[in-house]
Amino acid sequence: MRVITAFIAITTGVLILGGYFFPALADVQTLLLNWAIILAGAAALVGIFNLISVHTDKIRRGEKGSTYSALLVIGLVATFTIGILLRPQHSAMQIVLSGIIIPAEAALMGVLTISLLYAAIRLLRRRTDMMGIVFLVTAALLFLGSATMRSGDIPLIGTLIRPWVSQILALGGARGILIGVALGTLTTGIRVLFGVDRPYGGQ
Amino acid sequence: MTFSPDLIIGVISFIFTILIFSYLIGDNPLFRIAVYLFVGVSAGYVAAIAVWQVLIPRLGYPLWFGSLNEKIFAAVPLLGVLFIFMKASSRLSGVARMTMAFLVGAGAAVILAGAVIGTLIPQVEATINFFDLNAAASRNIGFMEAIGNGSIVLAGTIFSLVYFHFGASPKADGSMRRPKVIEIIAWVGRIFIGITLGAIFAGVYAAALTALIERISSLINFFKLFGNF
Amino acid sequence: MAEIIKCPVCGESNPANQEFCQHCQSRLQPGSGPLKGVDAPIKPGQIPTKKNTAELEPILPQWLRDARDSARNTEQQEGQQASQKPGQTQPASHTEDLLAGLRSQAADGDEDETPDWLASITGAAPKPKKSTSESSEVRWVELGDKADFAQEETAGDAETPSWLASLTPTGSQADEKDELTEWFRDADDSKPTEKAAETPAVDDIFSTSAADDTPDWLRRMAAEDDAKKAQPPSFDSSSNAFPPEASESPDWLRQIAADSPADELKDTPDWLRGMEDKNQSTDSAAFTGPASSEVEAFDPSSKDELPAWLNDQGESAAKPLQDTTPKWLKKEAEDSGTGELPAWLSGNEETIPLPAAQEEENLPAKDEDALAGLPDWLKAAAPQASIFEQPEEKTAAEAEPADASFDSPDWLNTFTTAETPAPEKETPFEVPPAFVEEAKGETTDELFTEMPDWLSNAMDLPASSSPTPITNTDAIAPGELPSWVQAMRPVDEPLPSLSSSFVSSDQTLESRGALAGLQGVLPAVPGYSPTSKPKPYSIRLQTSDEQLAHAELLEQILAAETAPVPIASFSTLRGSRGLRWFLFFMVFVVVIAALLLPAPIFSMPVGVPREVGGAVDVARAIPADGAVLVAVDYEASRVGEIEAAAAPFFDQMIFYSHPRLTFISTNETGAILAERFVSGPLAEHYKNSGFSYLNLGYLPGGQLGIHAFAQNPHIISPLDMSLQPAWASASLEGVSSLSQFAALVLITDNAESARVWIEQTESARGNIPFVVITSAQAAPMIQPYYDSQQVSGMVAGLYGGAVFEQNNAGRPGTARNYWDAYSLGMLLAMSLVLGGGLWNLALGLRDRASAREAK
Repeated sequence: MRVITAFIAITTGVLILGGYFFPALADVQTLLLNWAIILAGAAALVGIFNLISVHTDKIRRGEKGSTYSALLVIGLVATFTIGILLRPQHSAMQIVLSGIIIPAEAALMGVLTISLLYAAIRLLRRRTDMMGIVFLVTAALLFLGSATMRSGDIPLIGTLIRPWVSQILALGGARGILIGVALGTLTTGIRVLFGVDRPYGGQ
Repeated sequence: MTFSPDLIIGVISFIFTILIFSYLIGDNPLFRIAVYLFVGVSAGYVAAIAVWQVLIPRLGYPLWFGSLNEKIFAAVPLLGVLFIFMKASSRLSGVARMTMAFLVGAGAAVILAGAVIGTLIPQVEATINFFDLNAAASRNIGFMEAIGNGSIVLAGTIFSLVYFHFGASPKADGSMRRPKVIEIIAWVGRIFIGITLGAIFAGVYAAALTALIERISSLINFFKLFGNF
Repeated sequence: MAEIIKCPVCGESNPANQEFCQHCQSRLQPGSGPLKGVDAPIKPGQIPTKKNTAELEPILPQWLRDARDSARNTEQQEGQQASQKPGQTQPASHTEDLLAGLRSQAADGDEDETPDWLASITGAAPKPKKSTSESSEVRWVELGDKADFAQEETAGDAETPSWLASLTPTGSQADEKDELTEWFRDADDSKPTEKAAETPAVDDIFSTSAADDTPDWLRRMAAEDDAKKAQPPSFDSSSNAFPPEASESPDWLRQIAADSPADELKDTPDWLRGMEDKNQSTDSAAFTGPASSEVEAFDPSSKDELPAWLNDQGESAAKPLQDTTPKWLKKEAEDSGTGELPAWLSGNEETIPLPAAQEEENLPAKDEDALAGLPDWLKAAAPQASIFEQPEEKTAAEAEPADASFDSPDWLNTFTTAETPAPEKETPFEVPPAFVEEAKGETTDELFTEMPDWLSNAMDLPASSSPTPITNTDAIAPGELPSWVQAMRPVDEPLPSLSSSFVSSDQTLESRGALAGLQGVLPAVPGYSPTSKPKPYSIRLQTSDEQLAHAELLEQILAAETAPVPIASFSTLRGSRGLRWFLFFMVFVVVIAALLLPAPIFSMPVGVPREVGGAVDVARAIPADGAVLVAVDYEASRVGEIEAAAAPFFDQMIFYSHPRLTFISTNETGAILAERFVSGPLAEHYKNSGFSYLNLGYLPGGQLGIHAFAQNPHIISPLDMSLQPAWASASLEGVSSLSQFAALVLITDNAESARVWIEQTESARGNIPFVVITSAQAAPMIQPYYDSQQVSGMVAGLYGGAVFEQNNAGRPGTARNYWDAYSLGMLLAMSLVLGGGLWNLALGLRDRASAREAK
């Protein structure tokens, strides 16, 4: 099985990679990618099925918090049933989205505001070093530069320092991070294509 | 008093917002109820989307209405879907590895090519082109600004990359340390990365603050709407 | 019956637990105990294990590789000299190594009349071999072919003389009598490693059971030996084997003795001591055994009784001899300096104190007495060995090439190489390293490392390099080589350490193991009957203080590596509920107050960042009724921010261009969020201006789907969200590829998603404008793509939306509604972060200082 899976992964990768360079393989690349799209969509269903099984087990065993699990399963099954029966773009699903999903997520994001402020204030208590100071000073400058006055942008901070920090100073670090990520991605891809890394199992 | 969809959405939205905000006074059952319901609803919603937007149009349609070739080509992913569903079974989960191997191989090839074509080459070129005075002039950037900013960006890029160089050699005392030059450059790189992370933090805070404003605004609007009734 | 052991020397019965014979003081047990399991010696008939050790060649010690090289060089030189003397029979010393002569033997076997080892020494032309081919014979020896092995075993059994059989308690080593020949020949090649393998072959001569090939003189000697068994053994091994009467020695042997200085003849241990003094290799001492064994096997009783071939050699002995010292002895001497001294013979007085060592001063007298019983020809060997002490004189005297007076028989002359003889100062005797290794307690692995190499090397030798004619029975049973090698494996039981001074005076005949058949190689002290077990001598590593210190340091390092290191972590910082409540109160009050203010208090941002300016340009530059692809990839949590940022851009774009919008989403909720966006911020346009759009729905697969869609959008997303054919609709009319869109707009809150879209559409989108509308949190990581001009414009967060709204006549006004709260929230954050940060910085410094003081 290990050999088969490695063969599948490497062959697929080579064929798709070849589609970038050889036009003859472009159709093969499209076909394989189309298959991959379907499989990736189906994989999401497997994850949801796993979520259901975990929480139904908790309900069956009567563990602590099984009531919450029951709520989760009920909400999941109900939404899925409505979605299957009425289609996702139905107004009922719009209510679900706008009434539950968006408010819940946005509210959680709003709570994050307090947490971020709290963490920033306490940062230097926990980490008193140059990077922490630079981190907070930069954040404070951008906070100040993002605000305005009654007459417009805050002089110097909003018109000069904020753009310079976000577009020049932060750009250098961001570009370094991006190139580092790309190099890491390149390395990881090569390792997978050479069969060194086998995240699909069978190590 | 009619129950329009907006009213229903407003009520449910208000309730869920309040329940989530209750976390600010501490973890409580109301918050948990809201979160569990939110997760269940979201999962059900995603499952319905996966069925209606993936399986039916991309797999069901070719199998039901497609030509022979389309049916043949759809049979392969159908087999893969069956395999990947076997992952739910502990006994048959090994079969799903073939499908996962296919996905991983395809993903590796795509991200590899994308990283080279879309990030590595263009970003390196852009770092160099910062010193292209003609291009700077075309973008209304002066000579000193181009040279100065280009130098800062170049230094930030290189120093940040060096910061992620973790190759070290053992010292006499047994500790593992990077070479001295690398240590110095990496220290400067940490400054640039600190600036970048500070900017990201400011952005995250701005996004969170905007979300909080939007939620509070929706609550105010709901009260206004409820007051109208 | 099992409680009684028969002495192999005197034949008397002894209790099984006795180590030495009660009657003759001979050893009853071999020096090395019986090995078991995988280490057990290979018995006759047992198939030896093939060992391919060619790859071990590089790990040989340098001195051994040098010796091998010198052996090869010697062979070449000898071959050249032999070709210059066509009339001279090629001596056995021309052979490359132990097995070299087996090749010619295979082809010219002469096993019926002449002992093979003698035949190979004399170099007499052997008779044609009967059946076994040369190649197969060599292969049999080298690789231990099973069939050949069995064949040889049978032959060996028939060839063992009876007297030899009586000397062999077990009779296990058959058909190895000719290994002596090979051993002699190999000694000429200066290969310590090979000698290590060859030495036991000498032992095997005495254990062979072959009788058919034994000449009469040997049989007679056996008879005499049987007759002398009842006599107490003398101190000297040579005298033990031979009658002490010198008159019985042949003339040529007496001539050897006449050439030797008398004083040195009396001082047999001198040459051994000389080697000790010079810290030379004890190979020579160990070789004493084989040398004496050779004499033992050779009955010099009468020239008439010699076989015909030997008589011939005796006649040819009148020919001038180039050297009095066999070449193999000289070669041994050359290597003696690099050899290792066995513990039992080396100057072990320093490290292995023995009671016998204290009596060393009295030994010369004993040795003189012992040498009195030596035959003259054997005594001659001792002075040759003593040249260690007087190298200059001996070199001049014995290096004389035309010393015709030396009338040694030709079979001994064969030891002398045809080339220019080496100086006599070279060590005439050299112990095979196997003895050294055994005495030094080296591991068997090292033996195996070295041993099979010369076997493999023998395979590489050309057949012409081994012209020595020896009979088929000369073949060394390859399966027995590992046997004695394994038998030599040091065991943990104490071995008696002996001074080299006693070696020549010992008469103990080893009956078992690798030394079976040898006398005096592991002797007890003459006249000294051990009353207790020999002093235990551990084979544990001898280490100096410095080495111990280093080992201790290494142990400390290893212990430090394995010891768990506590993870340095910050002390737990207690959460401040008060601060949390304070922040909660401040933020909510500020936001609610700002939202409830009837009039705006803060101005919208005036300055236009470059990336926002680029987005404005794109929004205005899209051709009328152009197809615009909108990728929706943001989460529901950022709806407020994203819609506030995207609404002015779309408002302006729709206002200026009336584009045909096509939405596609790469997350599950994106398609519905797109519907919400159209029905929300863009509702006015949708209802009033005939704005139309197409929603392609959810595109799964992440970057796989994005890349596939970028390459072939009509294949990957043929249907819209309502499962209707998408590419036939008005929104996508005239569009079949990504580059045919008028613009690409990405709405995302995730820098990773933006990176994927930028990367995967890089080659497919061509030169179409690419605008990213994003959350403020993703903007710093998308900024480099704008700087590299991969992105034409960017609207980030509420700030970008406010700027864009300012350039869109203030429409739709979402950003304006949020801006006061946003500005106040940002100012609050700045003040809290700076103030609280400074306060906590001071607290942090104080904590660090106190922690430092506490340490």
